[in-house]
Amino acid sequence: MTEEPFLRMEDIVKEFPGVVANDHVDFSVRRGEIHGLLGENGAGKSTLMKILYGLYSQDGGDIYLDGERLELASPQNAIDAGVGMVHQHFMLIPKLTVAENIVLGDREPAAAFASDGGSDGRLPDSLRTNPVVQALAQRFSLGLEAPESRIHDLAGQYGFDVDVGAKVWQLDVGQQQRVEILKALYRDVDLIILDEPTAVLTPTEAEQLFESLQQLADEGLSIIFITHKLQEVEAITDRVTVLREGKKVGTVPTADITQADLAEMMVGREVLFSLEKDPVEIGDPVLRARGLRAENERGIEALSGVDLTVREGEIVGIAGVSGNGQTELAEAIAGLRDLTAGEIVVEGIDLTGASPRAFVDNDVSFVPEDRLRYGCAADLSVMHNATMKDFRNGQFGDGQFLDYPGLREYAETLVEEFDVRGVHDVTDVEAGELSGGNLQKLILAREIHREPDLLVANQPTRGVDVGAIEFIRESLLAQRTEGTGVVLISEDLDEIMDLSDRVLVIYEGEFVHETVPEEADRGRVGLEMTGGSGEDGVEASAEAAAGAGEAR
Amino acid sequence: MVGFVAGLLDATVRAATVLMLAGLGEVISERAGVLNLGVEGMMLVGALSGFITTVVTGSYWLGFGVGILLGMALALIHAFLCISLKSNQVISGVMLTLLGTGITTFLGQQWVSESIEGFPQIAVPVLVDLPVLGDALFRSTATDYLAIALVPVVWYFLFRTNLGLETISVGEDPEMADTMGVDVFKMRYLAVIVGGGFAGAAGAHLSLAFSQLWVPGMTAGRGWIAVALVIFAQWRPERILVGAYLFGLLDALQLRSQSLELTLGAGAPLASLLNPVLEFVFHPTIMATYPYLATIAVLAYAVIRTRSDQLAVPSALLEAYVRSAVVPVMDYGNPHETVHRVLRSQ
Repeated sequence: MTEEPFLRMEDIVKEFPGVVANDHVDFSVRRGEIHGLLGENGAGKSTLMKILYGLYSQDGGDIYLDGERLELASPQNAIDAGVGMVHQHFMLIPKLTVAENIVLGDREPAAAFASDGGSDGRLPDSLRTNPVVQALAQRFSLGLEAPESRIHDLAGQYGFDVDVGAKVWQLDVGQQQRVEILKALYRDVDLIILDEPTAVLTPTEAEQLFESLQQLADEGLSIIFITHKLQEVEAITDRVTVLREGKKVGTVPTADITQADLAEMMVGREVLFSLEKDPVEIGDPVLRARGLRAENERGIEALSGVDLTVREGEIVGIAGVSGNGQTELAEAIAGLRDLTAGEIVVEGIDLTGASPRAFVDNDVSFVPEDRLRYGCAADLSVMHNATMKDFRNGQFGDGQFLDYPGLREYAETLVEEFDVRGVHDVTDVEAGELSGGNLQKLILAREIHREPDLLVANQPTRGVDVGAIEFIRESLLAQRTEGTGVVLISEDLDEIMDLSDRVLVIYEGEFVHETVPEEADRGRVGLEMTGGSGEDGVEASAEAAAGAGEAR
Repeated sequence: MVGFVAGLLDATVRAATVLMLAGLGEVISERAGVLNLGVEGMMLVGALSGFITTVVTGSYWLGFGVGILLGMALALIHAFLCISLKSNQVISGVMLTLLGTGITTFLGQQWVSESIEGFPQIAVPVLVDLPVLGDALFRSTATDYLAIALVPVVWYFLFRTNLGLETISVGEDPEMADTMGVDVFKMRYLAVIVGGGFAGAAGAHLSLAFSQLWVPGMTAGRGWIAVALVIFAQWRPERILVGAYLFGLLDALQLRSQSLELTLGAGAPLASLLNPVLEFVFHPTIMATYPYLATIAVLAYAVIRTRSDQLAVPSALLEAYVRSAVVPVMDYGNPHETVHRVLRSQ
């Protein structure tokens, strides 16, 4: 690794109406380095990288790559200069094959017209090298054989298991991400930007990605790794640059810094990693669910006979790896998913088969996992979103006409109490315009402020920044103190352990383990989450769960 | 009866050509992400302009060319409105159909009584003597043959050329295409204009080969059937061929069903019960709805049978592309890091 930086971004300034996204930021990356770019949502990480990738143009400052100054008007310029980017939401067309996705825009002519001399030699060279013939061949033919074999070789070189002829929709998420990386490698880039690449991966896939990245770096590629996960910074990066509110806080070698220090750099103050949990009197059952069975979207059973009891003032944490029935469970007890078997009783009222409206009217609140699609109406204002579960309850008018000043006042109260930022006027700002953390606070505000008996929160802190996470967790604990029964579904085991009174581990649609945080063996819980305990473990935990069930 | 079948097949092939040309054009346009509901209007403009040109110059080939050009000109308006101004594709398309209908009715008045010598029928030697099918398929106008020849051409263009790949990509995910260096605006303009040329050709075929005269509103809803045909064909050119003949058969049946005794005789069993049903089913007005019913059935079948990511509808259909739009994207954190860390610490 040379000390001379390979990429230098100097004094970058980018302003959007009303906000300075990058405020005189200096950023440099060495050759063969994995460089973490860390910051809260809205800290300016993505803006800085979009400038580097030619998606935005900077208002001030210069970019040098390998000593040469870059003028980037479009992503094409960036790719030509040797900069590739793997976006967080994949830039792939599911209907096309891997090879078609990768060669798109390259205008590779059919093999017979290949300018470097087709292997079959069916056409005379004079014709093949004729510019008119070339121009026509580049438009009205398509060569896939040569690119396919090159992609195949590239994939082999880095240990990527990808079938170049497969349609992208047939690939799993990890493979799709590898196709994204191949897209960059195919264009001979020297620097790859990865935008929160592990967000969509399973643990094994993330492990594989880290190995591949290390291999790429060893071969001399520079990698910029955008994240807001401290653990990832520690696991994979050589150095890390922290941004906060558009400004650079500092660049440090990863080995020299602790997670707590990094968190403080990110947030600008000390972050509470441990929460105060007041003792609470556990009351009567709020939710009694028996033998719940439900199917996922594809008609496959995702929930296979689950019993769940939640009492007043109790947080029941449900731990598990994504896709083991958590979403179906959350939707079932929030009344949104049809059951194939089982019954749900809330506060003594049988709500089995009732409409979602009945669940809402019986004081069940729900924080869904996909906040943008199911948690809000993205195109409606903050006011509409803040009041959409309560506008009918008589608080805002007589049922014929709505009391708009009342709605506005209510929304403004929520925004203030829950510290939802970026709202200058509740009727003017749309929910979809809020950042992830602020939108989640708004949704939580709506669900909590109606004083629910049962609160179902699915991944409430996923993808939100450290400051918002702290706030959301405190809000959940406050609900517990007020006597609400809370179901907390999370894949973050720390979160489950810190907040829950009781922990259930879900695996393949069943609870396989039950424990309380004080006595939990984290290794055991981790193994149960991945089905790793084997037959004995499952049986033992099933017995434990049965025993616990009898005890109640 | 043989005469009726041969006549029916002949009418089917004639009717199919119009749908095939218009449908192929619509496939190209929609594959690039732009719905063109102006087909009906573009066909009428193509029909009238081709007819006038032929009357004036006496050359039906020149007329056919002018029909194509004016179809493209109308499509250019659609492209400008939908791609550059990012207005609603449905509204723009419907407007163009109304515009095309109005203009041709107004300007076409004095041409109604004119007659032309249009495309002659060309018989393919030997094949034309085949029983039943021979006459229908192999004694056709040049435009009939052209439409069939264009099916593999469009298929090759879409699935075996770089421009075709780029066309599909701007209809699926324009943002992705843009980051890959594809000129989204240019590709969409090209696709819409070429599609309009096909619609113009379909109209010119109608007035120059099919009926060899001009009647205001002579497309009689065939442009709308072409739009339905594209859905029926699930945006694949080769299925346009099949669908065009099927819809063409329905079209031909509709015209000829009146001449046939399709009800049961008074003495037949259940006649009193079945005859009203048969009368309803074979009523020309009801038969005119069959292409749309078939389209709905195909849509329902496609939704039930295939996963959503396999559905043929271009993902970005109806979506205007705004460059470097800030799309709100859910940014998930890493859901698995904890398990990850727990396992590693074992």
